[in-house]
Order: sequence, then C-alpha cells, then structure tokens
Amino acid sequence: MTGRMFTRTSFLAGAAFLALTPLSAKADGATLTPLPHFSEEASNAGIDHKYTGPWEFFVGGGAAVFDCSGDRKPDLFVAGGTTRAKLYRNLSSAGGALHFEEVRLDLPERLMEKVTGAYPIDIDNDGIKDLAVMRVGENLLLKGKGDCRFEEANRAWAFDGGRAWSTGFAATFEPDKAFPTLAFGNYVDRSAPGSPWGTCHDNMLYRPRGEGAPDYSDAFALSPGYCSLSMLFTDWNRSGKPALRISNDRQYYRGGEEQLWAVPPGRPPRPYRKADGWQHVKIWGMGIASTDLDGDGFPEYALTSMGDTKLQTLDKESEQEFPIYRDIAFDLGVTAHRPYAGDDSKPSTGWHAQFEDVNNDTLADLFIAKGNVEAMPDFASYDPDNLLVQEWDGTFTERGMEAGVALNRKGRGGGVVDLNMDGLPDILVVNREGPVSLFRNLGGGTKANPVPLGNWIGVELFQNGPNRDAIGAQLSVKIGNRTITKDLQVGGGHASGQIGFVHVGVGVAERAQIRVRWPDGDWSHPYRVFTNNFVRIERGQADAQYWYPE
Amino acid sequence: MGKPLAALLAGAAIAMAPAHALAAERPWSEEVIGSHAPFDPGAADTAEKSQALVERGEALFKGKFVGKDGAGRPDATQAIIPTKRRRPALEAYQRLAGPDANSCADCHFDPVLGAGAPFSGSAFVSEGFESADFDTVDPQFSNQRNSIALQGVGLVELLAREMTAELHRQRKAALAEARETGEAVARPLSSKGVSFGAITARPDGIVDFAKLEGVDQDLVIRPLSHKGVIVSLRQFTVNALNAHHGIQAAERFGARWTGTDDFDGDGIGDEIGEGDVSALVAWLATREAPGRKTDLPDIWREAAAEGEKRFSEIGCAECHIPALPLEAAVFTDPGPLDTAGTLRQAEVDRPIQLDLEALSWVKALPRDDQGRILVPLFGDLKRHKVSDQRRERLGNELLAQRFVERDVFMTAELWGVGSTAPYGHRGDLTTLDEVIRAHAGEATEIRKRYEDLGEEDRQSIVAFLRSLEISQ
Repeated sequence: MTGRMFTRTSFLAGAAFLALTPLSAKADGATLTPLPHFSEEASNAGIDHKYTGPWEFFVGGGAAVFDCSGDRKPDLFVAGGTTRAKLYRNLSSAGGALHFEEVRLDLPERLMEKVTGAYPIDIDNDGIKDLAVMRVGENLLLKGKGDCRFEEANRAWAFDGGRAWSTGFAATFEPDKAFPTLAFGNYVDRSAPGSPWGTCHDNMLYRPRGEGAPDYSDAFALSPGYCSLSMLFTDWNRSGKPALRISNDRQYYRGGEEQLWAVPPGRPPRPYRKADGWQHVKIWGMGIASTDLDGDGFPEYALTSMGDTKLQTLDKESEQEFPIYRDIAFDLGVTAHRPYAGDDSKPSTGWHAQFEDVNNDTLADLFIAKGNVEAMPDFASYDPDNLLVQEWDGTFTERGMEAGVALNRKGRGGGVVDLNMDGLPDILVVNREGPVSLFRNLGGGTKANPVPLGNWIGVELFQNGPNRDAIGAQLSVKIGNRTITKDLQVGGGHASGQIGFVHVGVGVAERAQIRVRWPDGDWSHPYRVFTNNFVRIERGQADAQYWYPE
Repeated sequence: MGKPLAALLAGAAIAMAPAHALAAERPWSEEVIGSHAPFDPGAADTAEKSQALVERGEALFKGKFVGKDGAGRPDATQAIIPTKRRRPALEAYQRLAGPDANSCADCHFDPVLGAGAPFSGSAFVSEGFESADFDTVDPQFSNQRNSIALQGVGLVELLAREMTAELHRQRKAALAEARETGEAVARPLSSKGVSFGAITARPDGIVDFAKLEGVDQDLVIRPLSHKGVIVSLRQFTVNALNAHHGIQAAERFGARWTGTDDFDGDGIGDEIGEGDVSALVAWLATREAPGRKTDLPDIWREAAAEGEKRFSEIGCAECHIPALPLEAAVFTDPGPLDTAGTLRQAEVDRPIQLDLEALSWVKALPRDDQGRILVPLFGDLKRHKVSDQRRERLGNELLAQRFVERDVFMTAELWGVGSTAPYGHRGDLTTLDEVIRAHAGEATEIRKRYEDLGEEDRQSIVAFLRSLEISQ
C-alpha cells in the first residue's frame, strides 16, 4: 500500500500545481514531453469510407483492428451504419506510408449493413480471429476462415443475435470454459412504450456451453440495462475474476447509472450496489479506456461523456472488496470538457477513448475521439479529437492541435495502433457522416522524414488450448527499476476493439524484461528482449521470439 | 537578427561563454564544461574544425569536473536508465557505486591518456543494484572491471557497424526467401570471416535464434566493454559521464526523457550538451590504434616472430583474429545504431563526419586486395564463454550484465596488450601467462595446447604479445 499512498501524494502535488497554473497556460508550451506529429492520409492509403445513417447511427461507428490476413499487420473492419461495413487489408510496408486495399466480404449484403461496430476475438480457438459484430438488429458472430474471409456463425455457434440496437461488446475467458464469455451492450429499445425515454434494452451475457464447438444458447439478461455504449471486462481489484464495467448514456435512461457487474465463475452475474460501495455516477457514458496510470496495480478508468471526461481511480481508503472510485480527471487535466481549438466554448462530446503511449516516453497518453452527436445546439460543433499527452508529473497536456489531429469531423470509434509496424502508434478514427481519419504517426519528423521518439516493444502472447491470445493476461515490462503493465482485454472504447501486438513505450531503455501473468494467474519467468522489436511470447517457452515485418 | 536582440545576445555571450572561452578570460577557472554546447553537424567539416573538436574532446576527457559542471548526482544513481535514488547518498563521491572519478583520465591514463589503468583504477558495474549505492565489493552486488584502453576504438566501432549491417542483411535475405518460398530458411550468419552461428527464418516472419552464437538476438554487435554490451562511443560516453562523474547528458537525462533538466538534483541543468558529447566521441574515435614495438633487441624480435607463429598455430588467432577488414573509415557521429537516450542520426540534419582515413596512422595500416583497411585488433568482436567449472578464474562474477551471462565475455582485443597489464576483465591477473592459463570454456582446447607447449614456445608467445604496444 505504500506505493499507492505515494502515488496519491503525487497526484495531490499535481493538483496543487494545477490550481496555480491554468490549464490553458500548460497547453501553451510548458510541456516537456516529446511531441508526435501525425499526418492524415486515409485517402492516400486507400480508405474511403463513412459511417452514415439516421438516429440509430448517431451512436456507434466503430472498427475492429486485427490481423485477418495472417501477416500480423493490423487489418481494419469498419462499421458503416447505413453504408456497408468495409474490410481493409493492410499493405503498409514497415515504416512506410499507410496503404490498404478493400477486401470484398463474401457475406450477404444485408448482414454488412446497419453495423455499429465490431470487436475481434478468436472465439473457436482455431488461431484465426473471429468478429463480434454489433448491429441495429441482429448481432453477428463471424467465423474467421483465414485470408480475410469470414462466414456467419450465429447458427453454428447457437448464438441468437437478437433484434436490439447494440452498441457495446466485451469478452472474457472464464475458468474451465473452452470458449469466451461474450457480453453485448444494448441501447434504446425502440419498440417499448414511451421510447426512447427510459426504455433501455437489457444487456446480454452469453456463456459458452460444451467443449467441442462454441454454443452460446445460454443467454443471460443483464437487467436492468441503462442504454450502454461501452463495456469492459476488467479485473478491477486484481482478484483474478474480471467484472463487467458498463458505461451508460444518461440521455435515455431513467434512474440509471454507471454499472459494474460481478461475473463470478459458475454463478449468475450480479450488479454491484451501493451496499457494495458502488457509487451512483450519471454521465452520458460513451466509451471506456483503462490502464494502471499510477503503477499501484489497480487500473484507472477514463469514461467519455458529453462535457467532462471522467477519470476514476480506486479510492485508497477502500478495501479490496469495495469498488469505491474517486474522480481525478480535473487533478490530472483530462476533463477535456470543451474544444481546445476554435471559438466554440460549448461542451465537448467524447466517444472512443484509449490509453496508449503515442510518443514512447513510457507514459500512457489518452486519445479521445470527439464529435457532436449530430446537430445538438448546446454542444460544440467544431469538436476536435483529443490527444492528451501525459507529463512526468502525472498530469496530461492537450497537444491535439500541434500533433495534427484537430480535424473538423465527428469522431466516433477508432483505435490507436501501430499500423505500419514502425513502433509509433497511429490513430484510426471512424467519423459520422465524414471520411475515416487515418493519422500516421511520424514521430518527431515529417512525412518525408519520420523520426523515432522513445524506444518501444511490440508483444504478442500465445498459449495453447482455449484463449490462445491470452485475453485477460497482464504484461509486466521492467525497464531499469520501473515496471509498466498492460492488460490484454477485449472490450471498451466506443464500439471498437483490437487484438494484435501490445505496444509498450520504453523510453530510453535498450533492453527490457517482460513477465506475463497468464489468464489463469500463473506468472512466467522474465523474458529478456531488446527494444525496438516485435516479440512473440509463447507460454512455456524459454525465450521470446522475434518477428520482423516486411 | 534584429540589432537589439543581437546586442542582447552579445551581452549574454559573456555569461554563456563555453568554458574554454571562460578560461581565456579567467585562466584560473576550475570549470571544464561551461555552457550548453548544441550539436553542430559541421563540427568536423574542415581540418581546422575537426582539430578544434578533437582538442575540445581532449580537454573534456582530461578535465576534472567540478560542481558547477554538474559533477555529482545526489538524487540519481549510476544506472544507464535515469533512476532516482531511494534514499539520499551518504557521500558525494564513492569508489564503488560512484561517482568514483573526477575525470575520465582518472582511469584511462596508463601508459598514455585514453589508455587503461592498473587494478587501482577498476570500475564497478552494478547490473542488479540500480536504485541505491552499494558499499561492498561483494560480487552479488557488482562486477569489478579493469579499465580498458581506448586506443583504436574508432576503428573498432566502425568494424562493428559494418558487421551489424552485414548480419542484418543476412537476416533480411533469409526472411525474404522464407516468405517467398513458404519454407523455413536456415542460414549461417557471419561477417568478416567471423561466424555467429546460424538462424532459421520462418515464412511468418519469425526468426529462430537457437543456434545464434556470440551476439545479441537483435544481431547488433556491441563492441565496447568487457562484456560487449555498449554499442557506440556515444553511448559509452553518456553512460560513463553519469556513472563515474555524475555529469548527466541532456540527450538522456534531460527534460525530454525525465521531465526535468536537473534529474540528479545537483542544481545544474542539462549538464553536458550534445556538442560536447560529440567532442568526447571525436577525441575517442581518433585515438591512434596500438601498434608494435619497433625498437626491439634481436632476441625479442626473433622470439616475437616465433611467438606470433605459435599464437596462430595453437589456435589463439581463431578468436584473437590478427586483423579484420574495414570497408570505409569515415566515422559518423551519431552512429547508425544508437537508440533513444543517445543522440540518433534520425534526430540531426546530418551527422558529424570524421574522416579517419585522413589520419596518418590509419593511412599507415595495411590494406587487403580489395582495398580494405586491415585493422590489427587481434579480436573477433564476438562473445565467448571463457570459464567453466574446472577453471573459474575468468568467471569470478555472480551477476549477468545486460543479458550476458556471467561467464561470457567479448574477446579481448590484444592490440596494445603489451602496455596494458594487469589482465583479465577484473584486472587481477598479473602476467600474460596467467591470463592465458585462465582461459576455459570455449577456449579450453586452445589453452591446453598452450600449456602443452614447451617453456621456450610459451615464452615466445609472451614475447609476441608484449611486442603489441600502445604508442607513446
């Protein structure tokens, strides 16, 4: 507990600093961390796509980022709303310009319409990523067939996709289960009397049956639902038993709140309540991002909303069984409640959120996709995406404008991921009624001459049997005396998920030691790796393997 | 530049003048570094500039750093990654965990500036003990290392760069073939006649290093230090300035990577700039390579000639290769292999270019039939296991260092060995015969051949080795 207390003290010091220093002054150049430059090159990269549609598609607009071609480079499945969802194969060369080609999906047209988002996950443990596709209408499980081919597997896997308006997804592998447990988050029940006000659909939990093939006929309604827009299985108290955190949109629920469901193995889920320490928080919850910011072993959660972004940290006074959170967004400068550029002083609207170290200085940064819901007059119209870069005192500085991501588009889902395998995380943003943004990270340089920032490692995990991609594992990367942790999760963000190399910025470290806490809780021995490389760690193997992109 | 600004800067110039300018104004000044020297890509564009850069480097190498230079690191440890102390340092200077020296020359002086030091000049590397001082020579906390002579290191780094590039080309070719054919491709790895084992490239882009020998898995030859864990003179300089003097280079310990320009908390920010690190690198890179004694009496000359033959015949030259060929001797700073925390080529408009070929001692080196410079280092820039359970003398450490096991060391370059007693990585072997007899592990058979020689032949090898000297 000493460490936690120490870091809280650090936060307080940061808060005192902020009280004396206006945030705007900090954004004006007091920052000390390296600035990454981004170049928007979706069109040149071969991506021409919009997320479109009426009210049902004011929300959603996600993307799945994963390798469907077998070359380990992240490919993109992008929701289109009333526009057909598209799949793009990544043809980018290592360190080069971004380059994609569309892959025609051999699926019925009707299934690829009304898609709100998607998450990749290897459901049937065949080593090929599958897709959980959220739609307005029947949700889909698409079985990956290799070479970016998919087939619908709802019937084969006894999955009832329902008829709801789905906007959230998360998955976890429960102990002794051969296949993942899936959770779908649903939004407004449009058929209920009085809709849309107070008519939120229940969310659904699908636990797998059997051993031979996935069987999701066992559906459980997580009731009440409060119009979920993001959900995440997270081991919030490091008990080894992930709970399901759900972020909900107060626009439509009545008497609702943010939710945390205990999902004890072999037993029915149950929501944490006030008696459990869970506090009533009402926001226009749009997206969840999670990482352990203060190194105390317990994750922090960024929750996007209209107006303030929340940043919740487990209260240091709480016991392990009490999920009591304290908001530190203001202290750390991540409220991002108004646009940082332009003249519009109205509140901002946040969607996809993701922690990633975009400058490889070892500190997790926070990206938030921003954009007016449609034409809401009380909220900012020009609402550029946030790039909140973490400083060494734990606070964050908005650097979206200087970094080149401040476009006048309505961001929704996306992903921060290294697309051209140069160790610098790029940014994908799916925009409503606007072209997809694809920001290539040029480090400290230019398009003609990218310049690396800090050192980095890309880590791929593998284990035999169920859960080959080790969802639920934790990476512990030691550089000098510091340890950076990363959780492997499926869920969160806004309608967008990713599987692939886990990116870790390691600053000036030339070497790092990686330990893996595998999903069953077993710790690996330390793997010694040289930084600025992609490595694959197979459970039980003595050494990490090195992978080289083309 | 507007005049008012120019006048202001002119006024400020006195306060910001580098130490050598201050020295001209105040000859009694004790400061060595002075103001922050930014990187200057043109610092060696002419012979005059090049000379000035090297002279500045020598001044920095010889200078005894003082508090105003940034000497001391009350809040930081010796670790190569910026690391705060967990508790205050008891002493400003301390011979074990450091800072342990006032000047580079404190431990690089014997027999000339830039060479090594006897046992008393040993340094301690602390792989497992980075967050606090250690005050014991117990090998569970640190490894004791004899100071290494730096003569010829410019050419050594250039050889390593070329070898690394060649190994990377071989890896790339194997991967391309594996991807093209869909079959695993096994390929030997070698450069300049030195084998580094073999790799197997898989069609999915993964490389199997199970048969790799003597080099890190990233196939980067790190030619410096007893363990071969330092990639460049620049990295060595930045590491050593912090560890031994508490002088923290801005390129690693500055605000960009630590959030403060005074990471070590001594009240001096950005203690040494990129330009001054380049000056030190330039001075190191231009140190004349060791040669051979030329004024030997006949008895020694004849014995040395005989000994050189024996040295080769019994297999010593398999690792202590008499010369490695170098394609080009233009030393660029920064080099191509440095990573974040050491200034990188990608971060500068162009690197400083030091044309070592213009140096008379480089011109005097022989060349092979391809015109390559034959660098007479008597080494292979490869790591070997040189200790085993039967003979542990060279394995007297407990801690691995930067992923290199405790009984594995880079082949010592023997050029100049006649000037650098004592021997061994710890400097605790007093004669050449002792250190040869300490060889074990991979060198066991060759050592046995040496032991099987008659006394006269063994003496001839000693005569040969003692003829390899650092020019004075």
